[in-house]
Amino acid sequence: MSDNGQTKDDNIAIAFEQVEKGFGGRKILDKVSFSVARGEALCILGRSGTGKSVTLKLMIGLLKADAGKVLVEAEDMASLEEDGLAKVRRKMGYLFQSAALFDSFTLNENLAMPLHRLAPNKSPEEVKRAVEETLREVGLGKDGQKMPNALSGGMQKRAGLARALVLQPQILLVDEPSSGLDRITASEIDSLLMKVKTERHTTMVIVTHDIHGARKIADKFVVLDQGRLLAFGTPEELDKKQDNRLQQFISE
Amino acid sequence: MLRSGFDFIGRVTLFGAKALRDAWVPPFEWEYLLKQLYEIGVGSFALVVASGFALGVVMTLHTRSTLVQFGATAEIPVFQSLAFFNEIGPLVAALLMAGRVGAGIGAQLANMRATEQIDAIETLSVNSFKLLVVTRIIACTLMLPLLTTFMDAAGIFGGFLSEHVVSHIGWRLYLERAFDGVVLADFVPPTLKTAVFGYLIATISCYYGYTTNEGSNGVRKAATNSVVVSSLVVILADVILVKCIFFLFPDQAI
Repeated sequence: MSDNGQTKDDNIAIAFEQVEKGFGGRKILDKVSFSVARGEALCILGRSGTGKSVTLKLMIGLLKADAGKVLVEAEDMASLEEDGLAKVRRKMGYLFQSAALFDSFTLNENLAMPLHRLAPNKSPEEVKRAVEETLREVGLGKDGQKMPNALSGGMQKRAGLARALVLQPQILLVDEPSSGLDRITASEIDSLLMKVKTERHTTMVIVTHDIHGARKIADKFVVLDQGRLLAFGTPEELDKKQDNRLQQFISE
Repeated sequence: MLRSGFDFIGRVTLFGAKALRDAWVPPFEWEYLLKQLYEIGVGSFALVVASGFALGVVMTLHTRSTLVQFGATAEIPVFQSLAFFNEIGPLVAALLMAGRVGAGIGAQLANMRATEQIDAIETLSVNSFKLLVVTRIIACTLMLPLLTTFMDAAGIFGGFLSEHVVSHIGWRLYLERAFDGVVLADFVPPTLKTAVFGYLIATISCYYGYTTNEGSNGVRKAATNSVVVSSLVVILADVILVKCIFFLFPDQAI
């Protein structure tokens, strides 16, 4: 890294440098460092409460680090004002664990909402087409008029993914894509993420407990344990390490 | 206790001031504002009109039993209109709005916070404060004076019906008497003060809903606090605003 916080490596999409974050005196992340290259899929593994979702929220600027730097596209997220933050976020999509669909909007409206605001040059027909195409891509082509509460858990996840993808982000952050879903539905979501990775070459950071799905998608793993970085590397590299604690997290 | 009270007042004041400032900064959320105007205005219309009508009937029944002793039943219409224009219409409409809209805003925003919908809006590079808070505050500020006017009209109509049943007074004569000696200053300042009530109700309710971080318990607290605090603040603000109106329009104080 240079002094002004710019990453020297232009291929780096996201970098964590000695990041610390705590809540109410409890340290959730303790000097965590890793990076994600463009087009790479990184899976963050670890037990509940080890700061995996906090890591994602730091990446998109919903939380600010207490110490260290979170760099996204070479921008230090903590130093950005509202406008700068919005600019960086336009390059990112975020799939929440609960999908977090707007419950007073139909699926079509959920997807059209960011398009109306962030792509004002698009005509209503173009917005409609983009919404329909994205919903079709995730297998919800016929469900655009439905309200979120009329959808199953798996459909909500897909709809959340569609909303995250509708602006064609360069970086996709995914929080627990398989939580609360049966094995088959979880596998369908994993397949969708694989499709996004291979067809769009989107940089992805996925928080998950599902090591089976993670091994299918990930180029690299980050393993967090009690707020500290236990391991960072490719699945093959981590498989070779003789660390029982690490193997508990990454063994299927 | 006192310190936390002042702390709360300070935070709500800054919250409301930010909304006032952001209301003038583009981009403007016209579509969402129209939705809020509809939900708050049209959604409250039936409640306000029904309450105004019922109050009008009851007020006339009470006034008649007193005025009949002095042979002054001809004054019932003007008593009715002045009571509604000056106090009953503005205050009751505001309290009804605090109950219906305040609780709704508090619960809805708190639920959106608990289910990460507000975070989702932020991740889409949309300013959630402008979209959710500013639009609701503008909608409440604009709609309450309008709803108050409907409440006044419903109250006068309720009073007429009540009086018509007893004395068979005609509609035209009732109206003539209701507006006899009533000037614009009797209607305009008290109605406009409800814009302040609307601003206060929406600001307090949005504050409780938008800033909560206690999950489903936060939804319950936000809904309850929105109604209790905004109702109390409306009543206290009424005292101050009535004094201001008397200061600016001294004839009203006589």
